[in-house]
Amino acid sequence: MRRVGFESSFAIAEAVKMASIDVTSAYPITPQTHIVERIAQLIADGELDAEYIPVESEHSAMSGCLGASAVGARTFTATAGQGLELMHEVLYVASSMRLPIVMSVCNRALSSPLSIWGDHSDVMAVRDTGWIQIFAENAQQAFDLTICAFRVAEDPAVLLPTMVHIDGFHLSHVIEPVLLPEVEEVNKFLPKFHPRYTLNPSSPSTMGDFATPDLYTEAKKSQDEALRNSMKVILQAWRGFGELFGRDYLPVEMYRADDADVLLLTMGSFSEVAMEAIDELREAGEKVGLVRLRLWRPFPFHEFRRAVTQAKLLIVLDRAISFGGPGPVCSEVKAALYHLKKRPQIIGFIGGLGGRDISVEGFRNMIHRGMGKAEQGKFEEFEIFGVRE
Amino acid sequence: MQVSKLTEIRWHGRGGQGAVTSAELIALAAIEEGKFAQAFPSFGPERRGAPVLVFNRISESEHIRVRSAVTQPDIVVVLDPGLLGIIDVTSGLKDGGTLIVNSSKKLADIKLELGGPWRLAVVNATAIALELLKVPIVNTTMLGALVKSTDTIKLDSLLEPIKERFGKLAQRNIEACKRAYEEVSIAELIPASERIERAYVKESWPSWRELAPGSVVTEPGNARSYRTGDWRAQCPVFNHDRCIKCGICSLFCPEDCVNQNEDGYFEADLYHCKGCGICARECWTQAITMVEEIEE
Repeated sequence: MRRVGFESSFAIAEAVKMASIDVTSAYPITPQTHIVERIAQLIADGELDAEYIPVESEHSAMSGCLGASAVGARTFTATAGQGLELMHEVLYVASSMRLPIVMSVCNRALSSPLSIWGDHSDVMAVRDTGWIQIFAENAQQAFDLTICAFRVAEDPAVLLPTMVHIDGFHLSHVIEPVLLPEVEEVNKFLPKFHPRYTLNPSSPSTMGDFATPDLYTEAKKSQDEALRNSMKVILQAWRGFGELFGRDYLPVEMYRADDADVLLLTMGSFSEVAMEAIDELREAGEKVGLVRLRLWRPFPFHEFRRAVTQAKLLIVLDRAISFGGPGPVCSEVKAALYHLKKRPQIIGFIGGLGGRDISVEGFRNMIHRGMGKAEQGKFEEFEIFGVRE
Repeated sequence: MQVSKLTEIRWHGRGGQGAVTSAELIALAAIEEGKFAQAFPSFGPERRGAPVLVFNRISESEHIRVRSAVTQPDIVVVLDPGLLGIIDVTSGLKDGGTLIVNSSKKLADIKLELGGPWRLAVVNATAIALELLKVPIVNTTMLGALVKSTDTIKLDSLLEPIKERFGKLAQRNIEACKRAYEEVSIAELIPASERIERAYVKESWPSWRELAPGSVVTEPGNARSYRTGDWRAQCPVFNHDRCIKCGICSLFCPEDCVNQNEDGYFEADLYHCKGCGICARECWTQAITMVEEIEE
């Protein structure tokens, strides 16, 4: 075990090195550039024996990953914002062909106006692409969850591509202490990749074939079941990781929420900022707590319901805007609770767009503002937090 | 509820025979008459020679909302006699409906094969088309048989759509249509007739549980089991007296289904041969001729 100062980007590159990937096919884009630059350096220095395919766009980056994974290579890539959008159609192909590619997404706002800064617009736009999607909150989690992502994705019962989300700049470019295990310890946790089906001329097969209306529905059902069932493997992998390395992960993680009347829901790096706000409010005697949604897909319905049904009010922060509709996380949360008799009331905020910071004080204000809106019965309204009127 | 009378037609043909055009012309003619109509194919990977389904709906006075495939037709039209052995063309045909078949066989013989509680109309549309149009494309010819054997539309209503569609070739197509109108033989409905049961190969599809992850196909070359011979409208016949065993037919066959037999002569594997006629066209000694596929 080593304790080093790493930004999340380097922590991820280190995880990729320890996972001993075979191929990366990647295109640099802010704020993800440090990840692929670092991987290129590791390969050039002979520290990682892998093929780096430099491509001319993210569409080609993901297409390259597709081919590499299909022949049985452990495959990694990284992107952000517009890059993730340019990959969009190939993301569906990767999940439909059940190729366990692991990708870091340094969450970034979408143009226009052009913004290189962080929010979750890119994540929400790829919500339905069939990838497992996990959020990290700091550099240590970025490392840990990347290692776990390979194990989950490549499990024979899963075989699905997996995204590990880190917030652009807030995580990607912030140096923090990270505990790095020895590679032998990682090897104990992460077995070698033994793909069930590969493209191989000596044993030919066809992947990504054509389906008439007689077959397409069954193909999609099979894929959806695989994503839902990946939950079991995700839980096992995180439990196994916790036993070996002492850091535990859950699909829905709570903070000071046991007796809370009011819960705030966050995802990604804002969660730790919000914890500070919760601490301050608790000290002032307010019964507030935090729900951190770590697993975005498959959506952890069971764990989520169990976590929030005791509260009176749930305040949901979306870092993405769904123009003309509710925030994407908020509408998901409402759908998850709709049929329950006992459920909290819900207030939705949209905030932290395009790198707009939310401070500890900001989260305190958000919680109070949410409580005020609930008292006034303003449940329909979706407020953009901190917008200048 | 649709209160107006609705007539549903199902066309059976092969890619390239013009079934889609037939249905479109019927719809255009019906619309010309002030009715409401639809024409649409069963969308798929269209290929010349592959069996195709096309549908019409015609309503006297109301917009038609249903857009699904016609499964219980009032009228079935079969453009290609070779389909009779492989496809259950009378599937779902309503009692009292009409079955219209292109065949060189006599009405009485067809009745023995495809009889049931429906009217039966038979015309040798291929012969008419070959004579008047010089090609075995029977779509406009079969329209004549349809107009005569049903009260769907009037013959005159078809003339303008045919002129519009075929331009210089319109007159000959109209002649073919009128000839079939005159020559079609019709057996009137005998209401209590029993439907003659025939066995067809049924398609079966896997449940989602049976699919491999990613729907990967692990059996290489399984396209071999696909009977593309069903697409054939014309069959190559090899005359050994003229054959010099050069193998040009085999080299040019795009399906690689023409091969040498034990005696050194070439022959087509009819399970796969699509009847494209390239072998006959390339044969130096004209040892290969394409003949109309014989009905089963």
